Amino acid sequence: MNLKTKNPLYKLLSALFFASICIVLQGQNIRAQEKLIISAIPDQNPEKLNRLHKILAEELSQKLNVPVKYLPVISYPAAVSAFRTSSIDLVWFGGLTGVQARRQKPGAKVIAQRDIDAKFQSVFIANYKSNIPKIIKVSDLKVLKGKRFTFGSESSTSGRLMPQHYLIKAGVTLKDFKGGSSGFSGSHDATLALVQSGSYEAGVLNKNIWEERLSNGKVDLKKVDVIWETPPYVDYHWLVQPNLDTRFGEGFTKKLKTTILSFNKKSERQKKILELFSAERFVPAHDYQYLIIENIGRKLGKI
Amino acid sequence: MRGLSIAKPLLTLMPALALVPVLIEIIFGFHTGGLNIIYEFITGVFNPSASPDVLKSALKGLETTLSIAIIAWVISLFNGIILGIISSTTFSYVFDTPKIINKSIKQLLAIPRSIHELIWGLVLLQLFGLSPWVAIWAISIPYSSLMARIFSEQIDTFEQKELIAIKQTAAGSIETLITALTPKLIKAIGIYGGYRLECAIRGATILGIFGLGGIGTELQLSIQSLQFKEMWTSLIILGITMITIEKIVEYWQKHYLNQVYLAKYILISIVSITLLVLISIIWLINLESGILDPITYHPIPFPSILDFSTSLEKLDFLKLTFQTINLTMLSAGIAIGVPPILFMFFPGKIGGDAISALLVICRLIPPPLSALIILFCTNPSVSVAALSLGIQNMGIMGRLLKENIGYEENSSFIGISLSGADKKSAWLYGKLSPQANSYLAYSAYRTDVILRETAIVGIVGGAGLGWQLQESLSSFKWAEVILITVLMAFITIIGEFISTQIQSKLIRA
Repeated sequence: MNLKTKNPLYKLLSALFFASICIVLQGQNIRAQEKLIISAIPDQNPEKLNRLHKILAEELSQKLNVPVKYLPVISYPAAVSAFRTSSIDLVWFGGLTGVQARRQKPGAKVIAQRDIDAKFQSVFIANYKSNIPKIIKVSDLKVLKGKRFTFGSESSTSGRLMPQHYLIKAGVTLKDFKGGSSGFSGSHDATLALVQSGSYEAGVLNKNIWEERLSNGKVDLKKVDVIWETPPYVDYHWLVQPNLDTRFGEGFTKKLKTTILSFNKKSERQKKILELFSAERFVPAHDYQYLIIENIGRKLGKI
Repeated sequence: MRGLSIAKPLLTLMPALALVPVLIEIIFGFHTGGLNIIYEFITGVFNPSASPDVLKSALKGLETTLSIAIIAWVISLFNGIILGIISSTTFSYVFDTPKIINKSIKQLLAIPRSIHELIWGLVLLQLFGLSPWVAIWAISIPYSSLMARIFSEQIDTFEQKELIAIKQTAAGSIETLITALTPKLIKAIGIYGGYRLECAIRGATILGIFGLGGIGTELQLSIQSLQFKEMWTSLIILGITMITIEKIVEYWQKHYLNQVYLAKYILISIVSITLLVLISIIWLINLESGILDPITYHPIPFPSILDFSTSLEKLDFLKLTFQTINLTMLSAGIAIGVPPILFMFFPGKIGGDAISALLVICRLIPPPLSALIILFCTNPSVSVAALSLGIQNMGIMGRLLKENIGYEENSSFIGISLSGADKKSAWLYGKLSPQANSYLAYSAYRTDVILRETAIVGIVGGAGLGWQLQESLSSFKWAEVILITVLMAFITIIGEFISTQIQSKLIRA
């Protein structure tokens, strides 16, 4: 007995055993309860994202009188798959990912977008050392042939899909860039920083984020500037599962929609939500607005 | 004979030649445009974010990551042992089963191994939805087959004579297997199995796609938004965790692996592993991760023949394969060749410790992060990807090399030193040489892993099968996904065949 207690292994074992008992005692009784699960495509910094969704979950939970949980699904295709398998109920999708999700989950409803989403834009930016001139018409994009060029994330509407659509209109394919392919920086911020550093001569990102970084002093206009803005297109939107009414009661989807549309800057919490979404307010949105995205997505092989 | 024994340690150094073209291309594209960001990155380590929000979510992330990693590790260990035994040649000898069965199991296991856990995650997610168990299996599937390969090869290195002797005493097949293999298998599991726990924690950085959060998610989001202070908070916490685990595993190996009472050792291992799993599951219940929720199956239609033929036409498989092999060889060269060179030039205690610290940092920094940082001071090229993959895997190879050399007796090193050789050659022939075979064997497994990891460095320009696989997955083109997967498995099998041939030649020499 004496030998046993001296052995550190027994000490380790008893510590583990003790720890497990503590955790069991501490554990609460968690019952399965119908919860509204919300999620969002990430293109913001994590601190902002976590803050945003905590407030949003609280607000929705209070207004709708159901428990709301936020799940951070941090990859575009993963969010689409999770929506298809009904693992998430209310999702903030980009234009392309929203279309992908609706095609995989017939009956899903577009309920709202931000005021800025109906006329969203991407900006092409270039490093001053690359000597790329300002672009006046779409066909001028062909000056990007032979340059080092990067998109953002593969499934991003503003960081890849729409820009690639205009590049193709100008006769530029991915193989025409230096190195035989474009880069995929993974995020709007990375695109901006990589072009500003000169590693990539040009790139493209979400105009909204470009303007935010510009006003935060993160952009050095001596090194990088906008060479072209795309024509407006529709982008981000809220998408919900088709079965919310059966799960949460008749009229729930409509109530959810009204709640989101009613967010305004008079309420402290709603003001924060709108600020974190960089929006003045949410406006109604419809499937048919996204037909053009669907067509482009199909042409580029993303659907 | 003599010539060959000199060649062997040199053979482990030679792959480092891959550094030459890689560094030339990186230096050739060097520029100073991103120095301010690199400055921010470096100074961030001295000034990590200590905001309570960041710390709280990083620590909560660590809980999730640890619990998932432990469960995934135990499942892989269990599967790895079973599959490893079944696919070994020794098994077919003991049970008189046709060799073809073991061989085909071994080859089939190349498929799960050749696909990155992130890709497994996305595929399983499409079929089963968000669930911690899906995340656990996404990590366990490739890890199980990797461990199976290591264990089966370890089993097959055992002396056949011993087996014949035991078999001739007319013992039953199962008894033969248990008597002969247990002691040595336990040792192999103790060394490689423990080390895989660290890998599982690194692998658990994919939890973000399952909405589970985890410290890897914090890390990925802060890298994406270039928030280096927040990034260092997560990275430092992750680093401390990995070093702690490494020390525990080391202590375990040192004190208990060689003890005489094998049965006691096995019993204690099983009890503590069971407790660890229990704690992890309870932890996950408390975190409301949905670990007790049922999993539902959501089938997708199998792609048609037309889909397959369109994909075959659309994708340039030859070019993609070439790009993948090129990137894999360059990274593997760096990962295999650089650690022995570092240890050779700094054979002393202080030098060795400094290198170990450097290797910890190499292991800690995920390739997408190192690729981004390197890319801030040079132009995009395959070399950037090769270097970033090479750096992390170098950290892993270096650690294994150091551990194995630590187990080695010092006699031949001292002998060669006394004979008047300089320290470098004494290290090379006295310390590295006896380890060269097993180091090279392990290098072959690492090359497998690097092939999988080529999937995660699209930042330098979408190229190679790995990147294409991600692109096809994000377009939900299942025919392309299947074709690329099969091709990657095929490359893995060919690679293994070549490495087995080289190894058997080396052993004979």
